[in-house]
Amino acid sequence: MNETLHQRAQRLLAESLVEGIAATDQSWLTQHLRECPDCAHEAAATQEALQALRGVPVSVPRDLVARTQMRVRLRAQENGETSRSNVLLWIITGASWLLGVFSAPLVWRGFAWFGGHFGVPRLALEMGFALWWGIPALLAVAAVLYQRAAAQNLAGPRAQRTENRLH
Amino acid sequence: MSAQALTLMAARSPLLFAGLMTDDRQTIALGLRRRDPDLLDQLIEQYQQRLYRYLLFLTGNPALAEDFFQETWIRILERGDQYNAKSKFESWLFAIARNLVIDASRRKKFASLEALADPETQQPYEPPDLHSTSALQMLLARENQQAVQVSLLKIPAYYREVLVLRFHEELGLEEIAAVLAAPLSTVKSRLYRGLAALKSALSEGAA
Repeated sequence: MNETLHQRAQRLLAESLVEGIAATDQSWLTQHLRECPDCAHEAAATQEALQALRGVPVSVPRDLVARTQMRVRLRAQENGETSRSNVLLWIITGASWLLGVFSAPLVWRGFAWFGGHFGVPRLALEMGFALWWGIPALLAVAAVLYQRAAAQNLAGPRAQRTENRLH
Repeated sequence: MSAQALTLMAARSPLLFAGLMTDDRQTIALGLRRRDPDLLDQLIEQYQQRLYRYLLFLTGNPALAEDFFQETWIRILERGDQYNAKSKFESWLFAIARNLVIDASRRKKFASLEALADPETQQPYEPPDLHSTSALQMLLARENQQAVQVSLLKIPAYYREVLVLRFHEELGLEEIAAVLAAPLSTVKSRLYRGLAALKSALSEGAA
């Protein structure tokens, strides 16, 4: 289907705003708008619409910036404390693992003595020994899970309020 | 450095200007990685108007826009290390804000924002009931250009969004595509449809 001059003008008008048009198209459009009152009216209406969009008065609530800055600083502080306690947790876990490695022969000897003295089966002894090794890691996992739950509880009330507003 | 000076510099030496902008982005990226509170304070101050306006256009509700404004900066604090300085900071900021709004609307099925998550259904939009007064309408009603501004609310959120990004924030098409995480063709088609919807809404409002 052939495009009429007016359709071309409408298309170029929209394209010039959205993605830009070539100089030759621009000069053709300018010439057409001079000659065609309908298309010129359409162009003016588009410009007015954009001006109306740009003219919407939006004023940021007075204390929003200060409140946001305060919240961000508080959260940064909390995150800093969490990361410090995480470092401490890793140090303790690492130290306890090292201690476990170096004391393993001694502890195993203790387990063997206990097994021999009380007649505990070897499988039970080995399981007990593995558990003793795993305790630091299990404690670290429990601490991390606890921290995550605490962080979620902290973020919870505000997220709930936003969701209520959405509803 | 003032905006005027920056514009002048951009006109005189585009290459130098591009270098400066990249340095600026690098500085922001480094500061965000360090979670520098002073930098965040500065960014909140600097982008307050643009972010709030974007959120207000997106949600059509000042109270929600306020909530999402704060949540966006908290998210920026926590995920600052993900900003790689390859794109403009504001594009990344708008993308973070948009994702927050979409996540929240998905959880609560907030009708007018739902389409943002899946806008390509391209259903013809229905003008809203003008008798139901939203909070944004009340806010705008205080201004002199009440009729024009209320008309803007007739446009669906996914059109308002691209219109504000293009014609208010003056982002490029690729930047808008990055914010929306959508193909360029989608951005263009939404802009064309949005322009048509804007004109139609305003002419209806004037009638």
